[in-house]
Amino acid sequence: MDENKRITTVEEMEEDSRKLHDRACEVCGETWVERAESQKNHCKFGEGGICCRNCSMGPCRISPKAPRGICGADAHAIAARNYLRAISAGTASHSDHAREILHVLHHTKAEGPYIVRDEQKLINLAHEWQIATEGRDIYDIAREVAEVGLMEFGRPFGEMRFPGRAPQERQELWRKEQIWPRAIDREIATAMHMTHMGNSADPEALIRQGLRTSISNGWGGSMLGTEITDILFGTPTVRETEGNLGVLEHDQVNIVVHGHDPVFSEAIVAATELKETLDYCKAKGIKGINVVGLCCTANEVAMRHGVRMAGNFLQQENAILTGACDMMCVDIQCIFPSLPQLAQCFHTKFVTSSPIARIPGADHYEVTPENAFDTAKDLVKLAIDNYSNRDESKVWIPERKQKAIVGYPTEQIIKHLDNITNSHVDTVGSYRPAIDAIKAGVLRGAVAIVGCNNPRIRPDFSHYEIITELFRNDILVVATGCAAQLATKAGLMNKEAKEFCGAGLKRVCELMDIPPILHMGACVDISRMMRLAAGIAEDWGVDMTQIPVVGCAPEWMSEKAVSIANYVVSSGLDVYLGIEPQVNGSDQMMNLITEGTRDIVGAGFIINTDPKVLVKNIIDGIEAKRAALGI
Amino acid sequence: MAMKKLFDRVFDGSDEMFARAEKSIAEVSANYDDSTPVAFPNTAYFLGILYAMTGRKNQTLGELKESLAWARSQMTKEERLDDVFKSGIGTACAAEVIEACKYIGNAAPYAESPPYLGHVTDAEVRELGVPLVTGDIPGFVVLIGAAPTDELAVEIIKSYQNKSIFVFLVGECAKQAEHMGVGMGFPVRVFPVGSELPSVAHVVSVAVRAAMIFGGIQPGDYEGIKKYTFDRVNAAVNAFEPVPDITVACGGGAIAYGFPVITNDEKDMWPVPRSLIIQPDVQQFVETAIEARGMKVKITNVDLPDGVGYATAFEGEVIRRKDMQIEADGSRHDCLELCRAAETNDVEDHKITIVGNDLETYEFGAQMNLALVAEVAGKKMQSDFEPVFERQFHAWINEIEGVMHTGQRDLIRIRVSKDTFDKGFRLRHFGEVLYAKIMSEYDAVVDKCQVTIYTDPEKVHELRVEANAIYDKRDERLKSLTDEGVADFYTCIMCQSFSPSHVCVVTPERLGLCGAVSWLDAKATYQLDNSGPCQVITKGEAADEKIGIWQNVDDAVNKYSMGALEHVTLYSIMQDPMTSCGCFECICGIEPMTGGVVIVNREFVPTTPLGMTFSEMASMTGGGVQTPGYMGHGKHYIASKKFMSADGGPARIVWMPKPLKDLVRDKLNATAKELYGIDDYADMIADETVVESADDLDKLMEFLAEKGHPVLELEPLI
Repeated sequence: MDENKRITTVEEMEEDSRKLHDRACEVCGETWVERAESQKNHCKFGEGGICCRNCSMGPCRISPKAPRGICGADAHAIAARNYLRAISAGTASHSDHAREILHVLHHTKAEGPYIVRDEQKLINLAHEWQIATEGRDIYDIAREVAEVGLMEFGRPFGEMRFPGRAPQERQELWRKEQIWPRAIDREIATAMHMTHMGNSADPEALIRQGLRTSISNGWGGSMLGTEITDILFGTPTVRETEGNLGVLEHDQVNIVVHGHDPVFSEAIVAATELKETLDYCKAKGIKGINVVGLCCTANEVAMRHGVRMAGNFLQQENAILTGACDMMCVDIQCIFPSLPQLAQCFHTKFVTSSPIARIPGADHYEVTPENAFDTAKDLVKLAIDNYSNRDESKVWIPERKQKAIVGYPTEQIIKHLDNITNSHVDTVGSYRPAIDAIKAGVLRGAVAIVGCNNPRIRPDFSHYEIITELFRNDILVVATGCAAQLATKAGLMNKEAKEFCGAGLKRVCELMDIPPILHMGACVDISRMMRLAAGIAEDWGVDMTQIPVVGCAPEWMSEKAVSIANYVVSSGLDVYLGIEPQVNGSDQMMNLITEGTRDIVGAGFIINTDPKVLVKNIIDGIEAKRAALGI
Repeated sequence: MAMKKLFDRVFDGSDEMFARAEKSIAEVSANYDDSTPVAFPNTAYFLGILYAMTGRKNQTLGELKESLAWARSQMTKEERLDDVFKSGIGTACAAEVIEACKYIGNAAPYAESPPYLGHVTDAEVRELGVPLVTGDIPGFVVLIGAAPTDELAVEIIKSYQNKSIFVFLVGECAKQAEHMGVGMGFPVRVFPVGSELPSVAHVVSVAVRAAMIFGGIQPGDYEGIKKYTFDRVNAAVNAFEPVPDITVACGGGAIAYGFPVITNDEKDMWPVPRSLIIQPDVQQFVETAIEARGMKVKITNVDLPDGVGYATAFEGEVIRRKDMQIEADGSRHDCLELCRAAETNDVEDHKITIVGNDLETYEFGAQMNLALVAEVAGKKMQSDFEPVFERQFHAWINEIEGVMHTGQRDLIRIRVSKDTFDKGFRLRHFGEVLYAKIMSEYDAVVDKCQVTIYTDPEKVHELRVEANAIYDKRDERLKSLTDEGVADFYTCIMCQSFSPSHVCVVTPERLGLCGAVSWLDAKATYQLDNSGPCQVITKGEAADEKIGIWQNVDDAVNKYSMGALEHVTLYSIMQDPMTSCGCFECICGIEPMTGGVVIVNREFVPTTPLGMTFSEMASMTGGGVQTPGYMGHGKHYIASKKFMSADGGPARIVWMPKPLKDLVRDKLNATAKELYGIDDYADMIADETVVESADDLDKLMEFLAEKGHPVLELEPLI
């Protein structure tokens, strides 16, 4: 088969980006490309994690000549402190996002604007938390669930709830190693405290707090974010969509939603479907309104509404450079502060909505649960009004786009696995069919590919190389975030992509009627992957470290990613990184993150910036786990 | 102890099959040289699996050795399913080599080891085409090894048979069935293949030949064959404990083709969803297999006595005189069957009335009068549908276990076996069958149905007169149905589940090439389900009436073949002839010397004067391919005035097998009389009694000249 007919290659994506970049030069804009160039030769101390700015005696930088800071902290202490601070920041980001969502849940009412869409999930969670449901109004329950959920952040005594969802062995290990988190804010605060001048200098102690803080994210903040978002907006289901900049339309009002928290983007989508909005649009003689997404907001609305995905992290400026973006609405996280400036080179209206992400040059409309829908309506009208300001001479929309199937939370995966059971032999509702396929060797294992783009390496290339090589080796891929977006752009996230797979993965795709890469959502939804791995281990009857399932972040860049990588490792799954964490100024820290954590939680990092080597490491790692199981 | 890994079992098993094949080759090589011919009987596809997978036409022992080397090269052993699939298919190929060796120097090796039958002929494979398409055969199952008990073997076989699923038996289970007196053979769809595992190659061969015959998949298109069988051939394997590595290796091949394996062997067995299923309870094999392969079993609940089966599998059953309780023979006594439309108020739903004596009043072996009359009512019912329903009586009644039905109208012959009679079968049950089938198959147009069964001789005689008037009226109506006289033709894409790019265009004067779909059938099918396989083609203006070109017909075939076909002519076999699925009843091909065509039907095994058998001619077309000069068609199309009318019409027919000629004789004579003013035209057409082979072409010319055959006056076809 001619691969190029079906797949958009990284080279083709780069060709489009180049053309758009040339246009940026024409309008005197700049993009990350120039900025990355001008930031070249990054500070070696920063890169190695051995620059300490935690007090005003410094900054102190560790070198052979100056092996300790003024206070006496060595490279290991400094690198470990910086690393723990990154974990804390990442944990704070996901968790604060979850906190906002819990507040929205608390705000739900039968008459809206925000309502409970997945009542069953709410009731299940209430039961899990021993909250009475019998005879109670659903919104009464919702409020109590929100209150109990919010207590996970700052409970003064006791410990967090969701880690109790892990398999028994994992729970015991977390207790034994004393890394079962107490409360989200508590762990973040403890981490900040430990890293304050004059506190912990023992890298292992700092790493342990890193693990505990990260668990409060993966089995706390992120898991709450996922769970409550499902309750509010519905648990995602399988749906078709499209991806890449070709989803922007010439003859429609293009509104790009960007960020991570779907509370505002859900309101935007709802506003575009209102009759009064459509009438307003029609009255202006415009064909329609086209909402598309960027980054994880795209993932959120794609898997709940089929909203099309314009692209991932390093594509955010490109969306504006098409000249066809009439409005960009952002919420939180991963938003370039460069965007308002670039928007000014075009007619694009750039709108911020959260007090968490305030950017100079943006039109700020602060969105609260009370005003979200009214604000969204007003903004959509503004976008419609702005359509006529589009300068056709500046418009160039790349044609490339690909079809994709998205929306495989664990519930959908189980449902698809149920479809391949035989009612005369099997029971339904478990991961057994997948386990059987792995045990027999039909599937070699599964890899969760997650994470961002990073200009340190060729963007999207590592994702592409690793995903396609895993396909060829009968390894099922689950993906979230920008990795999922790459798969969408490339055309790997559709059922036809089975043709690029080995016979085993191809057959599984055919029998289950799934693509070889399952879209599980936004980066906050890596918590879904934890539940998937936990469920597989439980149904298998082994610990999570034993199953041939691993994580991989080929192009990660954010502090959230550092937190994620740590909670995945804490959950017993090895994590393969395509970007080196900034600790290599300390050999002890390099050893701790790759080997030392294995003694604590049974897993660690494997790091290689060459995707071809990294994917080979993944395959070898999976085969080693198989061999240990005798399969 | 750790379980032996599934992939290792496949790899070891494939080594074992290869070693056995090498041994077979060594044994035959002791007596035969490399130029010795190698062939399975009555197939145009050489050694089917090897031909399908490699495109190699193995015709000599030397080539067979090369093929075995190829099979060996496929047995790769990386720990990936791809290697398991390749090794599994390599194992099937090695098994076919072993089987081929048996046929070296022995045309019928299986004749020596009853009940086993070995190779399945092309004609048999093609015969399965229509029932597979219609779902009358929901699929195939291969039983391998010995069932835990003889009784269980029979229970499983009967259970499949009752669901009309074709059963192949490999190994001891066939002996078990034989001990228990189970009737076996191709017609009853229980086919004992061979005593040893390699004979399973004959079953795989059926599946891959289906891909070439019906799917038009090119020999050697390895991936295409696998895709076709995976997507379209509903087969499954039931392997009884113990299942050794060599069987597991064959299972790897079966799964590669898309056929799940169900076994009760739990030792070192690794379940794989919908592919390798461990079912410890063999009594649940049947249901497990049906679900695993997603076979759609048609269920008609017919009220029949306990122990009397009802399934298409019984259609091929023959009741011999010695086993016959009673017979109604329309050629000797007044008998008939009739379906007619009635007013709703005149029909009492599900009323079954017997007029005359029931079966128990007759002596063993007696003759009787019998009239089966079904009256149907419904708002959408049309009198045009009467013969459509009535023609199904044959199949419906035949599907009763222990009942045989042949003929139609007042020339039916029905036999009821003693066994079935003893189980309590009575006349009422004919009514139950007709009622149940009419109501289930034609529920879109029939609201109510009642059946009256007459055995009273006087009453039947009166009815016969009345019925004949109806038959005559229908014939008149049929005669008036000409391609010119109607506004619509119909498409039929019923076969597309099997032959994805084929489209039949059904006209009043050209029935579907399977012989099963007339214009009236197509019309009824459309009425029953207007988004179904038969769609209206509004004829419109002809672009060329003589050759039979209509823009709307081209548009329709283009649309329904998904663009695979652009042009089809209705009346020429030379220019854009209509395509074939593969289940055509007959094929015609041009005979260059006489300028005529030779027609051969599927049942005729020997070589035709074209130097090819039916199978070989059939392999020239089929699978939606257009091959000018060759065309598949229905038997009754031969006597149509439109039969290749653009190329000279039925006057082109120079040869056909005698039984076929006799079947169409009267109508063909009438057509020739009308078209050319020739009497007894059928006698001018040669058959196998005159010309046996391509070597006798001079004899054919002599015969045609002697008879004054009209073809000699026509322009050459090429």
